[in-house]
Amino acid sequence: MRLYRKEGNTVQILALPSGNVEKGDYLLIDDPATHRSLIAQVIDIQFANVPGILEELLRNSTTNGLVYEERFDPLDIASHVTYIQDSRLLVCKIRGTVEDGKLSVSASWLPSRSQSNVKRLPTASLLTLAKISEDLPVQLGETKELSQFTIDARALDGKLNIVTGKKGTGKSHLSKLLVLGLIDHGAMVVVLDLNGEYAHLGFSSNGEKNQHHNKIHVLTPGSNFKITLDQMKLRVMLNVLIHALHLPGTSAREFRRIWRFLQERNTLTLHELGETIKNWKCNQHVKDALFSRYYSLLNSGFFTDNPAEATNLEENFQRNREGGALILNLRDTSTVDRQIVVEYILGKLVDLLTQWKIRAVFLFAEEAHLYLRETYWDDIVTRMRHLGVFTTFVTNQPNTIRENIYRQADNIFLFNFTNEHDLETVSRATKVDAETVKSIARDLPPHHCLVLGNVVKDFPIAVKVRALDIQTTGQTRFFFIDKD
Amino acid sequence: MIEQLHYATTPKYNFPKPLEDLQLPQRFMELSLKSMKKIDGEYFQPHETTFYEFAKENFQDATSTFLHQPSPTLRPIPLKPISDDTTIIAIDVSSINVGETQTGVLCAVRGVIVWRGKNRYRCFHLGPFPFHVTEENKKEIYNMLRQCYFKVSEEASNPSLINMQIRICNLLERWLQMGVSCSSHRSIILWDGSLTAGTVDSPVNFVSQLLEMARNRLNTVLAFSKMTRLRISGHRLTDLIWKYPPPCLLQISNVPTHASSPMRFLGNIYVAKLTGGSCSFRLDIDKGVQHEKGIEAVQRLLGNDLLSQSYPETLRLAHIFSTFTANEVIGIQRFITQKCGLKIVTRPNVRRLLFGSFGKGAEG
Repeated sequence: MRLYRKEGNTVQILALPSGNVEKGDYLLIDDPATHRSLIAQVIDIQFANVPGILEELLRNSTTNGLVYEERFDPLDIASHVTYIQDSRLLVCKIRGTVEDGKLSVSASWLPSRSQSNVKRLPTASLLTLAKISEDLPVQLGETKELSQFTIDARALDGKLNIVTGKKGTGKSHLSKLLVLGLIDHGAMVVVLDLNGEYAHLGFSSNGEKNQHHNKIHVLTPGSNFKITLDQMKLRVMLNVLIHALHLPGTSAREFRRIWRFLQERNTLTLHELGETIKNWKCNQHVKDALFSRYYSLLNSGFFTDNPAEATNLEENFQRNREGGALILNLRDTSTVDRQIVVEYILGKLVDLLTQWKIRAVFLFAEEAHLYLRETYWDDIVTRMRHLGVFTTFVTNQPNTIRENIYRQADNIFLFNFTNEHDLETVSRATKVDAETVKSIARDLPPHHCLVLGNVVKDFPIAVKVRALDIQTTGQTRFFFIDKD
Repeated sequence: MIEQLHYATTPKYNFPKPLEDLQLPQRFMELSLKSMKKIDGEYFQPHETTFYEFAKENFQDATSTFLHQPSPTLRPIPLKPISDDTTIIAIDVSSINVGETQTGVLCAVRGVIVWRGKNRYRCFHLGPFPFHVTEENKKEIYNMLRQCYFKVSEEASNPSLINMQIRICNLLERWLQMGVSCSSHRSIILWDGSLTAGTVDSPVNFVSQLLEMARNRLNTVLAFSKMTRLRISGHRLTDLIWKYPPPCLLQISNVPTHASSPMRFLGNIYVAKLTGGSCSFRLDIDKGVQHEKGIEAVQRLLGNDLLSQSYPETLRLAHIFSTFTANEVIGIQRFITQKCGLKIVTRPNVRRLLFGSFGKGAEG
């Protein structure tokens, strides 16, 4: 391989077909004269513009099927010609410089074109150079060279993460790996599980309980997850009424009075709430509005007047003090009920964190746009992050996540996308240049992801995500069943 | 050397049998390898990829330019295509300068034969064969090939190093012509160039033998010159036919040669305009073939091959396939550096050094 051109932070390397270099691979451009090396990542592979190639292709296309050819080439020179024909141009992005064994992101120098040696840099060596520590290892999978790829759980701590890719590429699988990796290190995790995919994280594929079983707690709203009105703060309830149930301001003010009235009498139950609304002296329209919301709350099944039936979220978190995951199974929950539950959970989390009853929590939100109200997005990446809610958004529709979220994302786990619009959206992330995202992500095979951000010290690395021995749920149901 | 390297020949070989028996590839290969055996570790200056090709017919024709000759007779001959499945065979070769070493030059030659029969084309590629020609071995290479294939006992004059590439190329061409002449039957054989003999590469006896060999097997040799320097009363030969409707020939009779010149025209010279378009060519038809038979051969060519711009497709393909592309030159350079351990050096371009951006043109 030879250094051919450099323009901006892009270098072009001339390589022969035997080089076996693929997109995402790292190269070390070593300049022996200056004792420095450039680290560059291959983002595209093109055919080299070899002189005379057009004539040869035209000549060969003339003969295809029309002319029967025989060759007497005893010196086998044709193989050399073919070899040159297949020579390629590796388009690479400069990622850093190695000088005296130390890595820096600087790339303000130019290596010698004639003297530099270009060789492949194995991912394992890159990780060592970049000093990507493994104090709290979370094994994600393996690199192209079949070496294990492990990230440090600390790199997820206090960070905003995005897991994105098109359907069926393995996003949820990676999320599960991250969830289990975090709880292994004693982290507290809350999963907003839209499709009930995480409910069986505590079971092996053969149905037996696994080592995580005691740390996985699945809460299904209306079933084993109910609360009393007393557990809910007025602020949270008003959020539910206004944002989830769209209660107008005037009615909300009336509701606040009713709530306080019941609170003062220590009769804050669902039954009493209904009775009070019925007997409350107010505008009939307001009363009707309150009644309709009351029935929505009632029908959600999420509220109960029986304290024994109610779930104490605080206790659940206390049980998970040594690490555990609270899976909020939203699978069979309607859109409105989902919003009610999520409003409650987030409100409760903020309360517990504000009171330092819990230290921090890792929140995994699948397709968050389906249940997270608009105003929460900014809240999550700013205020709530400072309180200790470290969110990981998981989505196959990258345009549902706002641009400012991408800009502030610390880590991105990017799976395959082929749609230009999706790639354009993801490429707005500041952790990597748009060309890298568009070029590499387009060609990622299923179950391979491009890891970007703090976890890899801004050296994008393509990883084959490892398999998990857990019971799979949430898989698509098919009509046509394999007869075999 | 052959035993050591042991190159196996192509097992499935659709080439006419007598051509194999001549064993030229084997000898060519031997000489090719032998010539390169001594260059191990030398420095190699690759030739720039903008390559050029030596036009063999120009070389021959250049020597036979004649001006202000007494006017020969011009006789237009209209043609009618005859379709009868006659096989058309075309031969072409080319050579390329691959680079220079400390002691000599590296060149490569290649030959191609194209057949058209039963409405399909077949093509046989021979080579390329690289040669390292030095002052030491040039005579040996040339005379060995010459004696081997022309069966001439006397040694030719010592060719200059710069001409060796063309010499070797011409030898290969003559050998291919011989192979085709003695292996085909009732075919039309197309040569690239003219039927002018009497040069070092084309001894009169040898070319006469070639033509006779072809005639004995009822073949007719037609030679097409893409460019000719023949002029009649100052007019370019190929310009004389423009007023006649195609397809037609214009016979140039009584073309004189200097008595002192060793050059001999072994063919009747015509100007051929076989299709519409702006091109016409000098066409030499074997003098040993009766005039009528010669014209009939051109009519058979018209009826059995495709023609574009008055040029036969078979010969066009032979030319295209034998031409070296820049990429092939790089491939040959790679082969030589790998097999012979040559070290590539880039000599400074003197023009560039002296004149900077004004130093254009070839190095030197």
